Amino acid sequence: MMIGPARTQIDMDAPSIPRHLRNGWETTSRSSGWKIKSRRAFASIAAVALIVSATAHIGRAQLGNAQLGFNDAPAKPRAYVLYAAEPQSVPADRRTLLQLRFQIVPGFHINSHTPKSQFLIPTTLTLQPATGVKPGPLQYPAGQPYSFPSVPGDKLDVYAGSFTVRLPVVATPGDHAIAATLRYQACDNASCYPPRSIPVNIVFTAK
Amino acid sequence: MRRALLLLTLAAGITLVVWSGWKNWSQRRSAMQAQQQARVDLVPNQPANGSSDGQSPLQGKPAPAFTLLDLNGKKVSLSDFKGRPLLINYWGTYCAPCMVEMPWLQEFSRKYAPDGLAIVGITYDSEVGRDAIARTTQKLGVTYPILLSTPKAEKDYLSGTEALPMSFYVDREGKIIEISAGLGSKDELESLVKETIAAGVK
Repeated sequence: MMIGPARTQIDMDAPSIPRHLRNGWETTSRSSGWKIKSRRAFASIAAVALIVSATAHIGRAQLGNAQLGFNDAPAKPRAYVLYAAEPQSVPADRRTLLQLRFQIVPGFHINSHTPKSQFLIPTTLTLQPATGVKPGPLQYPAGQPYSFPSVPGDKLDVYAGSFTVRLPVVATPGDHAIAATLRYQACDNASCYPPRSIPVNIVFTAK
Repeated sequence: MRRALLLLTLAAGITLVVWSGWKNWSQRRSAMQAQQQARVDLVPNQPANGSSDGQSPLQGKPAPAFTLLDLNGKKVSLSDFKGRPLLINYWGTYCAPCMVEMPWLQEFSRKYAPDGLAIVGITYDSEVGRDAIARTTQKLGVTYPILLSTPKAEKDYLSGTEALPMSFYVDREGKIIEISAGLGSKDELESLVKETIAAGVK
């Protein structure tokens, strides 16, 4: 920003330049004046561009949070698990893995897909048929061991924190949505809550 | 003329930048709205209570009357246990901590039978069917009466909370003297059982 005025100073304090040439310089100087104005204008444009890009960046940051859905406080009652609905872009007509990310509220856990006891309800995702999408067998993550504090010897197999289910698909080009249902059963460190079945909308684009 | 042209170019440039910024922002906003619509929260019907000892409106009150069916289809009522210390244990077939404490309750039902102690289990998820419930209790070695819950009994005893296990300790007078929510230690359970036996003894 300081370059323009500094150069002008040099232009004005150029005593060794002959008068007849100085006109030329003056012309140049005037032209330089325009350049200065242009530079100022460009500086203004740059400033506007910066503001716009900063706004866009803030928008992106907000969008990032909304995608994850973990940071904004939900207006609903306490949830045990959140589905991070992220639109995904995958290659068309090729087997590819969709990542379905879930976040469990701190302090709670849910049974893994393979709980150790036959009595416990495994976490399962059921898919509805979707046009143009051939799903493969779902890939569930391994659980982690968990014991209730009062019976440390009994090990359960649970998901806590976050977990990602992988869904292999072959999809035709275009936008797709697969309606799915997640069934899970949540507990905290002492109590358990009835099993739930909730809808999960898997959206992705195949290109 | 040149000046006007430059000004025009500048104005056009600024307009373009502002317009593209606005367009970008509005696209992001609509994408964000689409995301929020696509978002799914897994929400319980009731907020989680966790352990709520002493928080239940039933604390210190007469135990609500019930008549429920057992696994053989026989009617069992609260009045059947009149004059005896009673432990009413709400449990569910999906509930891991319930299955931890049920063998303890079985042990107490034998150990404190001479003191008149009665224990009944009420199955929260009776919709899974008697066979599934019977398989679970047999596997756990439970022989005390297992009853099937009804919406009324759930409303009367659980007051909307869904946290299991939940036990109600009823003295000989039919009054709920303690409520335990969630899995505690075996010693804690046993001391509550002893307290219930001792209460109301004249």
